Amino acid sequence: MCAEKISRREFLGVARGAAIGGIVAAGALGAIAGYLGGSAAAPAKTTTVTSTVTSKVTSTVTAAAKPLKVGYVYVGPVGDYGWSYGHDRGRRWADERFGAGVESFYIESVPEAEVGGAIESLVARGANLIFTTSFGYMDATAEYAEKYPDVYFVHISGYRSGAAGNAPENMSAAFAEFYQLYFLNGLAAGAVTETGVIGYVGAYPIPEVVRHINAFVLGANYSYKKKTGKNIKAHVNWIFSWVAPDKARSAAVALVEEKNCDVLAFTEDTPAVLQVAEEYQKKGKRVWGFSHYSDMREYGPTAHLTGQIANWGPIYLEFYKMVATNSWVSMDIWTRIGDYMPYRWRKKVGESTAGQPEGTVFLAPAEPGHPQRVAARDQEALRRHERAPVRAFQRRWEPRRAHTRPGRRGQDQGR
Amino acid sequence: MIDWIESVLHITVQMGTLYLLASLGEIYAERSGILNLGLEGMMIMGAALSFIFTLAYGHFAAIIISIAAGILMSLVLAVMAIHMRLNQVVAGLAITMLGLGLSGFLAFPDIRKNILLSLNPALPEQALMTQEAPKLPEISIPLLSNIPIIGRAFFHHNVLVYVSYIAALVMWFILFKTRIGLSLRSVGEDPATADSLGVNVFLVRYLATVISGGFAGLAGAYLFIGFHPFWQEGMTAGKGFIALALVILSTWNPLRAVLGAYLFGGIDTVQYRLQLFGLGAQSPYFLAMLPYLITIITLILISFENLRKRIGVPKSLGIPYSREQD
Repeated sequence: MCAEKISRREFLGVARGAAIGGIVAAGALGAIAGYLGGSAAAPAKTTTVTSTVTSKVTSTVTAAAKPLKVGYVYVGPVGDYGWSYGHDRGRRWADERFGAGVESFYIESVPEAEVGGAIESLVARGANLIFTTSFGYMDATAEYAEKYPDVYFVHISGYRSGAAGNAPENMSAAFAEFYQLYFLNGLAAGAVTETGVIGYVGAYPIPEVVRHINAFVLGANYSYKKKTGKNIKAHVNWIFSWVAPDKARSAAVALVEEKNCDVLAFTEDTPAVLQVAEEYQKKGKRVWGFSHYSDMREYGPTAHLTGQIANWGPIYLEFYKMVATNSWVSMDIWTRIGDYMPYRWRKKVGESTAGQPEGTVFLAPAEPGHPQRVAARDQEALRRHERAPVRAFQRRWEPRRAHTRPGRRGQDQGR
Repeated sequence: MIDWIESVLHITVQMGTLYLLASLGEIYAERSGILNLGLEGMMIMGAALSFIFTLAYGHFAAIIISIAAGILMSLVLAVMAIHMRLNQVVAGLAITMLGLGLSGFLAFPDIRKNILLSLNPALPEQALMTQEAPKLPEISIPLLSNIPIIGRAFFHHNVLVYVSYIAALVMWFILFKTRIGLSLRSVGEDPATADSLGVNVFLVRYLATVISGGFAGLAGAYLFIGFHPFWQEGMTAGKGFIALALVILSTWNPLRAVLGAYLFGGIDTVQYRLQLFGLGAQSPYFLAMLPYLITIITLILISFENLRKRIGVPKSLGIPYSREQD
């Protein structure tokens, strides 16, 4: 359970100062090596069992087996509030449910080219299960799975695994069918759009993102056509990075001002696009946005429609159990809405885990900014605000708007 | 079309102000012979502290603290570069890394929560967890903002943008039209001669470095509360280095820095708009590269001797001064 972060700085945005990147990377690896030097221990030999795994394995059995050390590699900072934040939440979720027998640690903001160094340091730290959580880590993960046959690897969002036959047996793959949720997002978008033009801020033109855009536009067109009989128009703006709120902001503003988009979906790991939508709402222009992998309602109290949310915890926990009980089977998991393991796919709708604590992907609470509800919320926020004299400065600097935020949480809990 | 120009200009000014604020101070430092490569680190510290202090005490406190943090960090640089006569490139990069690390540490959720609670125990739970802070309000200048096209583009912004307009003018005036500016430039040209004429080289260099630190902190505050109020580790993303390039592009002149800043800001803005018309979607890096290309061309141009003399390139930039040396 003890989550400990190592070397958070070393991998940080230094990469962006291209000129100094090389020097820093060298320094970072040196620092990690120095930090980890003492604690290096080879993981115990584990035999691979190839029988069918059932989900009945409990953590009480596992805790006694051997100390489970789990390492995570994140592509962004855990504070990004999107993708990496979601994975870190999953890590904590799994640790909590697994119990005392697990120790997990992570390295964040690892550039995709430097994942090898991160894996090396996690292995040196004694990790016997490593999760790499970005598409760009895939090939390096397979490479290191071959190099360290005693360590288990799980790669998120890729297509290489022992089960798929294009990676060693100690590597599994996992992802979720987010496109279903994007389709549902699209339905909402088509229903609320007034201009008939929707926008998408895309990270990179890779299959995953293109798939999500297609699903979103299909959904939007479906509901828009039902409503008006016309086809919807969609525009995509690429920003070519996963975490870049300033670029996402520019791209979102361009979509609204150039193409008159009034619903904005995005693949960028911060709420930047939703914040832009919220700013337009405050100026009286109706622009809508979504949550992205984490519940982002607080960043767009008026503009938030719904969104795709992921809890990676159940997937992680399943792998924790497998490693702890020496029952590893390489898998290529494609989580469906509500049911997260291949052997649960045949469950009836009534028994589905959709929206349940053990589900993996689900929709963010739908919250259309209904004018009356927004007004009521403002009133409530204002009342609360007057009781707290803490933001006198803000009130002076931003007389109308600053109030709407603090009261929100409290109100949502009632629902 | 007019709407288009207006909206592009508006966002260009928003983006450009960030570069402008950072480079104004840097111009002073470099004119006095100190290369402040710690710009990026000071900016990100400014951003991180403005995030924390906006939540705790509001915008005004945040701006003051950000400037103070920049000044403090530049003092460290000044001691290293002026007093200890260390290599300014190494010292500056060290400050940058220190800033990137320290800002990430201070604004890391758990640490930030403790800091916020000790600053202001009355803060609600929501404020302790959020990554966002209220943005500076936009203020319209009464008469000027009614001018077609440029009115909204230039005179409908937050207070820091107006500060940058005034700062550019005032700093240009001081640098080129006053005795203080003359001393500053002479210290950067030839510190030995300036010293023999009674200019306190060390004092001038200290002051110039401190000014650059203060402006870098202010630029960081602008980035966070004025431009995009969502905290993100390393959110400066190399913008400090772009500002450094801008200083060269502007040939160490605050007024030209205004043009340069809006050029860089404009490229940042137009990049995503042209994409929607099918331009640059294949590679966004072409437009993103342009500022650097222009900077390289400028560097080549100012390598010609007569141009150099006319512009007044600070000759002893990056060279530590000591009285015993010659």
